Amino acid sequence: MGLACCAIEMMTVTSAEYDIARLGSEVFRSSPRQADLMIVSGRVAQKMAPVVKRLYDQMADPKWVISMGACASSGGVFDNYAIVQGVDTVIPVDVYVPGCPPTPDGLLYAVNLIQQQIREGGRGGILARS
Amino acid sequence: MSLSTTPLTPEIVSHEGNAMVLSMGPQHPSTHGVLQIMLEIEGENVIKLEPEIGYLHTGIEKNCENLFWSQVQTNVERMDYLAPSSNAFCYVLAVEKLLGITDAIPERAQVIRVLQAELTRIASHCVQLGTHAIDLGAISVFFYCFDLRENILDLQEAAGGARMHPNYLRVGGVNGDLPDGYLERVDALIAKFPGRMRELRGLLQANPIFQDRTIDVGYMSPADAVSWSVTGPPLRASGVAYDVRKALPYSGYEHYDFDVPTRTDGDAYARFLVRLDEMEQSLRIIEQARKKLNTPGPVVIDDPKIVAPPKETIALSMEALIHHFKIVSEGFRVPPGDVYQSVEGPRGELGYYIVSNGENRPYRLRTRPPSMYNLQCLKGMAPGNLIADLVVMIGSLDPVFGEVDR
Amino acid sequence: MPSTQTPPLAGTATDPTSVRPAIDDAIIERVELSALRARLEALKAEGFSMLLDLGAVDYLGRAPRFDVVYHLLKMPVVAATVAQVGAPGRMRVLCGINDGDHVPSVVSLWPSADWAEREVFDLFGITFDGHPDLRRIQMPHDWEGAPLRKDYPLRGPARERAPRPAFALKSNVQAGTPPSGKTLAALQEQIKKAREQ
Repeated sequence: MGLACCAIEMMTVTSAEYDIARLGSEVFRSSPRQADLMIVSGRVAQKMAPVVKRLYDQMADPKWVISMGACASSGGVFDNYAIVQGVDTVIPVDVYVPGCPPTPDGLLYAVNLIQQQIREGGRGGILARS
Repeated sequence: MSLSTTPLTPEIVSHEGNAMVLSMGPQHPSTHGVLQIMLEIEGENVIKLEPEIGYLHTGIEKNCENLFWSQVQTNVERMDYLAPSSNAFCYVLAVEKLLGITDAIPERAQVIRVLQAELTRIASHCVQLGTHAIDLGAISVFFYCFDLRENILDLQEAAGGARMHPNYLRVGGVNGDLPDGYLERVDALIAKFPGRMRELRGLLQANPIFQDRTIDVGYMSPADAVSWSVTGPPLRASGVAYDVRKALPYSGYEHYDFDVPTRTDGDAYARFLVRLDEMEQSLRIIEQARKKLNTPGPVVIDDPKIVAPPKETIALSMEALIHHFKIVSEGFRVPPGDVYQSVEGPRGELGYYIVSNGENRPYRLRTRPPSMYNLQCLKGMAPGNLIADLVVMIGSLDPVFGEVDR
Repeated sequence: MPSTQTPPLAGTATDPTSVRPAIDDAIIERVELSALRARLEALKAEGFSMLLDLGAVDYLGRAPRFDVVYHLLKMPVVAATVAQVGAPGRMRVLCGINDGDHVPSVVSLWPSADWAEREVFDLFGITFDGHPDLRRIQMPHDWEGAPLRKDYPLRGPARERAPRPAFALKSNVQAGTPPSGKTLAALQEQIKKAREQ
């Protein structure tokens, strides 16, 4: 779910220097029907919030959500009428990644935390520290 | 070039044939961001389309009315997020015009600003080329482009502290001189660049598949481009050599020797070539700026009411302490007036119309978003083409939705 | 909360758009609403072929309340070289309108005004007569209100924060007496006095 500036860092994490493919996330599926993990990267506007909810509903279980960046986690720099103050008001989030934007290393650590959650069989928001 | 009348909603339109209305986006890999296009299509042919924007509307302009002049910069950098320093550049130039200190900005600060602006232009074109190529299936180009971009982000991080929104250009100069070793890294980039450009050209320029997909796709005549207020590489690819750096130079651009690449074909391939040529011209400017940076000098103006004095002087001077306190707690005041300042961003003419009423916050900050005006011409360009051609057109126009929606 | 900025009053020293030496290179002109369309047509005929931008400013508290601002560029269409482009002239046309006034649309002169006028309609609530498709563009289609107006709260009507309680400047110390909270007894005396106030 590449929305804003964080989407560029999300694209960078697939590039050669950071290479998320070695963690197993080789392909970014554009269709929610085929995805296990939704990375909300960027600020969620009022107009976009129902779209995010709809895409989350279209994903098949089991599914996880990473809220990447300060804007997706809490509204970030934008405390105003246009931005949803945290995507967790719309969909449940498993890992929050702070930063504006977080470095690609931060997103890699978040994916590691998701893998840890999957191993342990639990859910719940954990603040990813990077 | 016709304009739409009623909004399209997704449905199956019962004409004879296969016509239906499809929503492309707002979540789509090839729309380069959150763009929704309502397409009325027959098979793969686009009959009519209506782009729908606003999915990233952040209310930045209203936000800025409630922030100090120096805080506004953080919001403004997040508009065109592929080239943050160019937003910051335009903003600080506008505020300096209102303050009347444009002539007092030291030479070294101006050279550093030009250096950052050209680095960020190359970085932005890298993302555009990489994502444009990946839409067409040329996935390797993405990796080559982002590798080049990594070098530039490292430089931005070294100077400003952050990879993407460095907040390095400030009102009154720049935030601190360049760190040690920075100029050597710029030299390394200058040495690496021609090889990388050769590789990018070799991958795409004479590639028959790329040429097939982009030549004669998305044609725009010069008259159409001007009437649709298109600026930047799409305008120059249609034959109009308008570049704000040459037409209305700012920050010392008149002292640099560079060309403005122009083509006359007006299609997506021409825009691709113009952007590649622009990257090479940006490197010429970077080389010249690098030579000018050999001479040391101040990087901020000597006005404690606008730029806080160095932190070390707080313990020694009462005035320095008071100025620091004032600037941090209530910011500086800008005399009343309105100004329109424009710079040549990677997407076109980026402009800010700033109104001040004498307070320590802007009264109104209106952005002239190049991407929004460039995207509007899609309505006239796309009908009669395939959906695949539409993807090529969007990529070649290079919209950034942080700027379109603000 | 709505804007706390003092609006610049027309004609006074704080009016940003009063006639004064220009800060930038654009020629600034103020036009009445009734003469706006004719003036813009004349400017287009003069060679201002590009509408750079169309925006609005809300001067709440001033009459007329809004300023619709047109930025124009004199771009020669046949301009294949930098020398042919030269230094194109810029123009800034300001038109003061009141709340509820209808502004003539310039879409027939410059097609790029389409989305710009829709944005002004969406965010300021200013109606443009003659626009082919005037509806909201940035906000959701069922949004109520014009967010960029100065009396619209920053955080939106749903999240408007309750105003902070005014801090009553109450002191535990009687005016003129030095504070003496050093002993427990004196401290308890002070607390008792503050509670009685």
